[in-house]
Amino acid sequence: MLKLIGVETYYGKVKALHGVSLEVKEGQLVTILGANGAGKSTILKTISGLVEPEYGTIHFEDKRIDRKNPEDIVKMGISHVPEWRRIFPELSVEENLLMGGFLIKEKDLLQERMKEAFQHFPILKKRKDQRAGTMSGGEQQMLAISRALMIKPKILLLDEPSLGLSPLLVQDIFKTIKYLHRSGVTILLVEQNVNHALKIADYGYVLTSGKIFLSGTYDELYEEEKVREMYLGEGKYVRRAKLWSGS
Amino acid sequence: MSSIITDISQEAISGIALGSIYALIALGFTLIYKATEVVNFAQGELMMVGAYVNFFFVTQFISSAGEPSLWIFFIALIGSVIFAVAFGWILDFVINRPLKDEPIFSVIMATISLSIILRAIVAMIAGPMSLLPISPFGQNVIKIGGIVISMLDIFIIGSAILLVIIFYYFFNKTRWGIAMQATSEDPIAAQLMGIPVNKVHAMVWIFSAIVATISGILLAPRMSLLDTSMGFLGLKAFPAAVLGGFGSIGGAIVGGIILGIIETVSMGTLSFHFEWIKEINDIIVWIVLIAVLMVKPDGLFGVEKVKKV
Repeated sequence: MLKLIGVETYYGKVKALHGVSLEVKEGQLVTILGANGAGKSTILKTISGLVEPEYGTIHFEDKRIDRKNPEDIVKMGISHVPEWRRIFPELSVEENLLMGGFLIKEKDLLQERMKEAFQHFPILKKRKDQRAGTMSGGEQQMLAISRALMIKPKILLLDEPSLGLSPLLVQDIFKTIKYLHRSGVTILLVEQNVNHALKIADYGYVLTSGKIFLSGTYDELYEEEKVREMYLGEGKYVRRAKLWSGS
Repeated sequence: MSSIITDISQEAISGIALGSIYALIALGFTLIYKATEVVNFAQGELMMVGAYVNFFFVTQFISSAGEPSLWIFFIALIGSVIFAVAFGWILDFVINRPLKDEPIFSVIMATISLSIILRAIVAMIAGPMSLLPISPFGQNVIKIGGIVISMLDIFIIGSAILLVIIFYYFFNKTRWGIAMQATSEDPIAAQLMGIPVNKVHAMVWIFSAIVATISGILLAPRMSLLDTSMGFLGLKAFPAAVLGGFGSIGGAIVGGIILGIIETVSMGTLSFHFEWIKEINDIIVWIVLIAVLMVKPDGLFGVEKVKKV
C-alpha cells in the first residue's frame, strides 16, 4: 500500500535519511523504532510532503507521491498526526475536529464523522467548547488522533503519540492504537517506547542515524540481541542481566 | 458644568468615529500579522491607494451622471472594493509569496519599500496637488440634546460596526474563517489537515486590502484633504494595535477607539483648558504607545503566546 524506496532527505546540507526503504501493507500496523534524532519523524514528514526527498521514490497505492504537496497527499487518504500533537490550542475542541475534516465538503457527512469521533472519545464531547490548549496531554493526543481520523484515512501516520504522557496515559494511548488497528485502520507508528510499540505491531523497522538497521516481526526483533542492547544501554546492562539470570 | 459634559461627549463621539477608522486600519495590520507574522508597514498606503481609487471612481461617475447622489457613492464603493480584492491578491503574489522562505524581517523590509513605492506611484499618477474629497452626506448633521453629530461620523461608526460583525462571523463561524485561524496558529498542522495555506495567505492579504480601502474611503472626507501623506496616518493605527495587544482582533478594535477618543478629547476640551496640550497633540498617541510597551507589553487583550514546542 505504502512503499518507500531508497529515500534520502536533507535538511539544508545535513543528510537526515540515508536511503530508507520500507513497506506498509494494507491493514498492517508497522512501527519504526529508533533513538532520538535517528530520523524517524523525518520519514513521516517526507511521506506527508512536509519535506521533499532528494533521492528515492514514495509509492502509495501504485501512485508516486514524492514531490506532491501536503494538501494533495492528505486528499489521497494519508493522515499524519505530528510529533507533539500540534492541535490548534486557541481553537475549541469542536473547531479542531472541524479542521480535521476540512476536506469534507458535505455538511451531513462532516456532522456524522464528528458524532463518530465523540462516540470513540466521549471526553471530547464533554470538552467540545473548551479551548483545546487547556486540555491535558492525554486528551490533546486523543484530539489529535480523532482530528486525523475525520477524513477516514487509508493510512494513519502516528508520530510518537506517547511523548510527554504519564505511564498510565501511555497505556491508554496504546490501547487506542491497538483498537484502531483492529477496526481496520492501516497505521505507521513511530515510537521510542519500544516495548509498547513492538507488542502491538505486525512488523517493525529499527532506524539508526537515518538508516534502516534491522527489520522483522515482534518475535524476530525481540530475539535480536542488538535491539535489546540498543535500548537497554549499550549492551552493558544486558550482559549484567544475563549474569543475574545465570544464562 | 453641563457644558463641559456636553463638550466632552461631543468630542467622545467624534473620537469614536475617528477611532473606528483607526480600528479598521489596525484590523488590517492584525489580520496579516496573525496569519503570517508579517507587520505590514504599507497598511497606511493601502488605505491611501483605496481612498484615491475611490476618489477617481466618484469624480468619474459624477462627471458622467451630472450630479452627486448616494447611488454614485455606493457604486464607487463597490468598484473600490473590487479593486482592493485585485490589489490584495497582487500584493500577496509580489510581496508575500516570493519571500515565503525568507526571514520575516525581509518581508517587513519589503513592506516598507512597498509603502514608499506606492506613495511615489500615486503621486505620479494623481499629481502632487491635494484633492478635495466629497462627502456623500455634505455638511448634514443631527442633533441629540446639545450634541451635534455629523452624518458622516454616524456613517463611519455604522460601517465599522457592520464590518466588525461581518469579520467576526466569518472568522468564527465559517469553514474558511476557522481555517484562517488554524493557519495562523500552526501553519504546518494546518497543511496536514489539507488546508491550502497559500490560498489562505492570499485571502488574508485580500481582506486586509479591503478593510484598508474602506477605512481610506471613510477617512478621506473626514480629513477634507486627500494627499499621499495620508499613508502616515496608517502608522497611527500601529499604537492602536499595540494598545489592544498585537495580534488580537478585538484588541485592535478597542485600541483604535480608545486612541481616537484620546486624540479628539485632548485636541478639544483639554487643549482649551491647557494650552500646552495643543503643542503635543500629534505625539500623544506615540507617548501612549511607549507607555503601553513599558507597562503592559501584551496590550489590553494580548494573550501571552502559547509556546509551541
